[in-house]
Amino acid sequence: MRSRGIWRLLAVAALLALAALYLFPYFWMVLTAIKPLPEFYRFPATIFPEHVTFQPFVSVMVARGYLTLLRNSLVICLAAVAVGLVVSLLIAYPVTRLPVSPRFRRALLNWILSLRFLPPIVVVIPFFDIVRHAGLYDNPLSLMLLYAVFSLPFATWMLRGFLLEVPLELEEAALVDGATRLRAFFTILLPQLAPALLATAVITFALSWSEFMFAFILSATPRSQTFPIGVASLVTQFEIIWNEMAAVGTVASAVPVLLLLLARRYVLTALTFGAIREKA
Amino acid sequence: MTPPVLLLGALVAYPLLYNVSLAFRNYRTGEFVGVHNFARAFADPAFFASLRATAIYVTAALAVEIGLGLALALLVHRTIRSGWARTLIYLLFIVPMVTPPVAAGVIARLIYTPTYGVLNAVLRALGGAGDTLWLSRGDTAMFAVVSVDVWQWMPFVFLVCFAGLQSVPQDAVEAALVDGAGGWQLFRLIEFPYLSSLLLLVLIFRFTDTFRVFDHVLVLTGGGPGATTEFLSVYLYRIAFKFFNLSYAAALSLFVLIVASAAFAVLGRFLGREVAQ
Repeated sequence: MRSRGIWRLLAVAALLALAALYLFPYFWMVLTAIKPLPEFYRFPATIFPEHVTFQPFVSVMVARGYLTLLRNSLVICLAAVAVGLVVSLLIAYPVTRLPVSPRFRRALLNWILSLRFLPPIVVVIPFFDIVRHAGLYDNPLSLMLLYAVFSLPFATWMLRGFLLEVPLELEEAALVDGATRLRAFFTILLPQLAPALLATAVITFALSWSEFMFAFILSATPRSQTFPIGVASLVTQFEIIWNEMAAVGTVASAVPVLLLLLARRYVLTALTFGAIREKA
Repeated sequence: MTPPVLLLGALVAYPLLYNVSLAFRNYRTGEFVGVHNFARAFADPAFFASLRATAIYVTAALAVEIGLGLALALLVHRTIRSGWARTLIYLLFIVPMVTPPVAAGVIARLIYTPTYGVLNAVLRALGGAGDTLWLSRGDTAMFAVVSVDVWQWMPFVFLVCFAGLQSVPQDAVEAALVDGAGGWQLFRLIEFPYLSSLLLLVLIFRFTDTFRVFDHVLVLTGGGPGATTEFLSVYLYRIAFKFFNLSYAAALSLFVLIVASAAFAVLGRFLGREVAQ
């Protein structure tokens, strides 16, 4: 028994060390973001800033105009989430509620799932060409559309999982009482689905928010560039302003991290398409 | 139900067919060139170099992520019993997973930068030289890009395995312990059979993701030094959007698509059982 106690202590110590190692990079980014540049360049550098400053955030957001990119990201992702939710409901509802053949159901769900495994670089080359010919290059519309499509695997599979859990009895009772399917859907099912829809929205928003390649190739100016593009352009410029770079990195990760901490019970389920049911 | 599906099909099928037609034509003149673009790939040393770099990246990331993730899941499963501690661990590890890859690239830049990077500062504090140019040497640059992948995705393996371990029937575990099984035997004979299908799932997910890696590489090394970290997606990006040879890039992207489809076919058989409810 005694040796077991020692093992446990060792295990907990190892876990604490790993946790520190895991969070340290984050702390370092945030600390760099609130540090005046001279302190960053000092040898050895200060760990905690002597003079806390929010100047890096201000100069990036205002002077560099990154507020525009933030707004673009919000608009594009919200629109993509709205469209994606409606379309995935249009797919998930019939698949779980209407008599469709199992073979068709499986083919459809698998095809939707396959979108998740389609490497973006494969689609982005023709898309670039098509979008340019259509006059939609550097237009937020093309990103909205793409993000909506690529949110479908997560949204459809998540909603399907939720729909399978909602019992049929209430809806059937409504149908027997003479309500149309549409009315039963809106009055009975939708209120029960509300939390599920919210969780799905949060997760697909966070995934769209982090997307980089499509935005990188299909946008060119602040008219349609998303926030991650702003992050990349600060990192790849000739002379890096370290605290500003850390500041945009902090903003870029704060949004999905905070959102997903809210929806944490569904994250793993979404990422594994229901293969794992969360208990956390 | 049919209209949205048809629309979607068009949205994805059309670009893919477009890709095929691009690959058989000269992009600038529009004339048909047959298999020229495919033949070109076989005589392109840069393409093979990017394949090799991708193979190294995929192998290293997968091995470390799955090895560490599984070990960590076992460690936590057997030592941490309290609910709140498990939730805390869950929260801690979910954070890197949902960090945008470009932001992860920023973090890595702050760590691996030679003079002001925190890694060299730590090495100096420990009495080392601390003058390694992490991103300017091939081997260390590869290490750096793989380390970002591991930081972000080892937690995914850990969480999946951890959830799997919790679904192992308790009576089987107790029976094995009564029969005098040690920790290793318990894992090999009872737990691993339960985890094996989940590990296959994880393997396919991680394979497809590492195989197409792009975002953090672009901000961390840009494919350099030389072409050491110019993985498939990075190379295709360069051909298509730096040299503007969309036809050749389309031909190569079909190869990428075939590999991704093969991985998905394996997964489809596996998840198909779940779909048939």
